[in-house]
Amino acid sequence: MIQLSGLSKTFGTQQVLKEIDLTVDKGEVVVILGPSGSGKTTMLRCINYLERPDAGEVRIGHLAVQGKHPSRRDIHQLRQRTAMVFQQYNLFKHRTALENVMEGLTVVQRIPRSEAREISARMLEKVGLGSKLDHYPGQLSGGQQQRVGIARALALNPEVILFDEPTSALDPELVGEVLEVIRRIAREGITMIVVTHEMGFARDVANRVVFMDGGIIVEEGQPEEIFQRPREERTRQFLQRIMPEPNYSI
Amino acid sequence: MNLDPSFIWTAGLSLLQALPETLWITFVSVAAGLVIGTAVALCRMYHIPVLSQLSAGYVAFVRGTPMLMHLLLIYFGLPVLIDGISSAMGWSFTSASIPLIGFVWIAFSITAGAYMSEVVRAGIQAVDKGQVEAAQSIGMTTIQTLRRIILPQALSVSLPNLSNSVIGMLHGSTLAYTISVVEINARAQIVAADNWKYFEAYIAAAILFWVLTILIEWISGWLEYRLNAYQRGGAL
Repeated sequence: MIQLSGLSKTFGTQQVLKEIDLTVDKGEVVVILGPSGSGKTTMLRCINYLERPDAGEVRIGHLAVQGKHPSRRDIHQLRQRTAMVFQQYNLFKHRTALENVMEGLTVVQRIPRSEAREISARMLEKVGLGSKLDHYPGQLSGGQQQRVGIARALALNPEVILFDEPTSALDPELVGEVLEVIRRIAREGITMIVVTHEMGFARDVANRVVFMDGGIIVEEGQPEEIFQRPREERTRQFLQRIMPEPNYSI
Repeated sequence: MNLDPSFIWTAGLSLLQALPETLWITFVSVAAGLVIGTAVALCRMYHIPVLSQLSAGYVAFVRGTPMLMHLLLIYFGLPVLIDGISSAMGWSFTSASIPLIGFVWIAFSITAGAYMSEVVRAGIQAVDKGQVEAAQSIGMTTIQTLRRIILPQALSVSLPNLSNSVIGMLHGSTLAYTISVVEINARAQIVAADNWKYFEAYIAAAILFWVLTILIEWISGWLEYRLNAYQRGGAL
């Protein structure tokens, strides 16, 4: 179980997170929606302390990490229990697809190379890249790179995978293959927190949708509640802007 | 003026005797310079207290003074320091037992370290921040991130500039003649004076340096090709 409580963050004079509370249960897929600047990416990055919150607590299982200056060891532990998929993929450029996935296994988890290789090959197989093991990131398309990124996160067997707009940098025709992979692993019961603008994806994969605006959680609920019967005016406005309702009915 | 072309060849052969000195000076100063430079760059980039200020002062002083001055300061200053410490501690060691080339190594390593720290710093800064975040996100420590992700990429980016530094140190090694270390330049002077054929001897030295420089460029070009394999798109 992941629990955020009282998470706050200010950049300069702009308060981007205002005492956020959020609980995510094991196996849950939570999709975070919201206009740009609403704090959703910052919140996600606070969960593994890539961004340090000014105040608040991140709790994963029994590990609680607090405030702006937790111990190095706590941050390290937190990062070992989480994994992240980045908007810009951020694959290690000087490593092949296989080596990218192996890196965390051999260096961080100290798994023997042969075993790590086996796990990594299996993960790449799973995301449909069994034939690209020895390719460098520069030789792969954006969609393929992002799938390697997902394999890298999966291989670590983390308690939660954090997705930071995983399809936003992709060419439109490559979005589908990446969403398909995420959809598939979501069904396997892996806990995921996904920041995205893909409404269709949110609707059919999320167990819960969280709508953020202005650094707070405006409302959260089941996807059909949020999409069909939003309680808050701000949510309604956002959804209308993103997916304008047809002014006719079938 | 009479030019004796055949003497260029004769002098060239004689200069080869001093080639090991030149290569040793260059190799040691570049190798030590790379280690010092990396350490200095890291101290400055991670704002390590005290060390980062010391590093900044070191780079400013060394880059602000000529390479010849470093050699002379070390050559005249280090013995005073070593003999002072040695006698205060009651050791039998004296600076007289340090070979001359040792002073050159120390002085030019200090020179190379300052210049190379800037090269390494630029290389590290060229590494995409996302690479570091990815390494952190999978739970790597700062040291692991540095060693496995940042430095390899920084090195391959800095290669053209590093090869410039190597060439700079090769040409700078000629200054060693001022403290009587017989490298190629000093050897040329000796051959020239013995035969009263200065122009020929220096032509030979110039050609030899040029050939060495071309070799360095070849090696660096080959290394660049190897290390940057990952940046080339397309099939393997």
